[in-house]
Amino acid sequence: MTLLNDVVAELTGMFLGDARLSAAILSVVAGAAGLIHAANLPPLAGGGLLLVGCLGVLILAVLRSARRPSGPKPPEMKT
Amino acid sequence: MVTWSTAAPAIGSAFLASIVEVVEAFTIILVVATLRGWRPAVFGTAAALGVLAAIVLALGPLLDRVPMHLLQLVIGVLLLLFGIGWLRKAALRAGGVIPLHDEAAIFAQQMAHLGADARRRTASLNWIAGMTAFKAVLLEGLEVVFIVIAVGAGRGLLWPASLGALAACALVLVVGAILHRPLARVPENSLKFGVGVMLSAFGVFWTGEGLGVDWPGADLALLVFAALFFGAGLLAARLARALQPETTP
Repeated sequence: MTLLNDVVAELTGMFLGDARLSAAILSVVAGAAGLIHAANLPPLAGGGLLLVGCLGVLILAVLRSARRPSGPKPPEMKT
Repeated sequence: MVTWSTAAPAIGSAFLASIVEVVEAFTIILVVATLRGWRPAVFGTAAALGVLAAIVLALGPLLDRVPMHLLQLVIGVLLLLFGIGWLRKAALRAGGVIPLHDEAAIFAQQMAHLGADARRRTASLNWIAGMTAFKAVLLEGLEVVFIVIAVGAGRGLLWPASLGALAACALVLVVGAILHRPLARVPENSLKFGVGVMLSAFGVFWTGEGLGVDWPGADLALLVFAALFFGAGLLAARLARALQPETTP
């Protein structure tokens, strides 16, 4: 069971390592999908919003982590 | 017909991402081989590769049955989650916020763990060592399998992506066998930064295609997206470094 737990933890960590980052990315995708399919925004404009949204999410996620106070940590085992 | 401009990013991304994962798995295999000999290391590795092959053979045919737009959307979103996560960590490492991944330190740490385990449990030491190798290869291999499927499945590029991953495995094994020590000099954070950029670019491209976006320039749009994510990652790393308190020497 330990092995199975490790596999589940690995798979979860791959995609949902940072819950706030994952939620932000999913919100950007949902927003772009909603604007294209529900609000009839031209698909290319929706794609542009998706791209800009993802770039913004990346920069904000890095800044949020950089502002968080933290002590010295050992080298990480995982990505 | 697969064109080079389409296949090259898939091969390159699978190759670079796989190198990172294979180096991590190889570090653990080397710990096992150093402490208990090559037999349990090779046995654990072979068993894990067998399980991974079974997963690929079981899932591969299912991918053909999923509608292309749905497949692109699902894989695109997963790539965004995975790629931006990698890029975020690589930018934080580049900005000095979190420490670099140190294979030599991990090698020493794993040696201490497995050595302590061996002292506690005198029986079945080869079994413990073999399971350690099995787990490492299985867990890192799952990431390689996902990356190969993610960069290859959306455009029928599973074979080129698989070749990229296999080339990475072969390269790490050959270099590791020659050096016989952890590959500590691999510029891992630079690789992760590059892979995060490519996976994020693929993620936006396929999520957009899954939503019905017809990107101008078709596959060439990937290069534009990659350049934008690269620039955003560098900018984020620079801003993160500026936020860190000054340390006096």
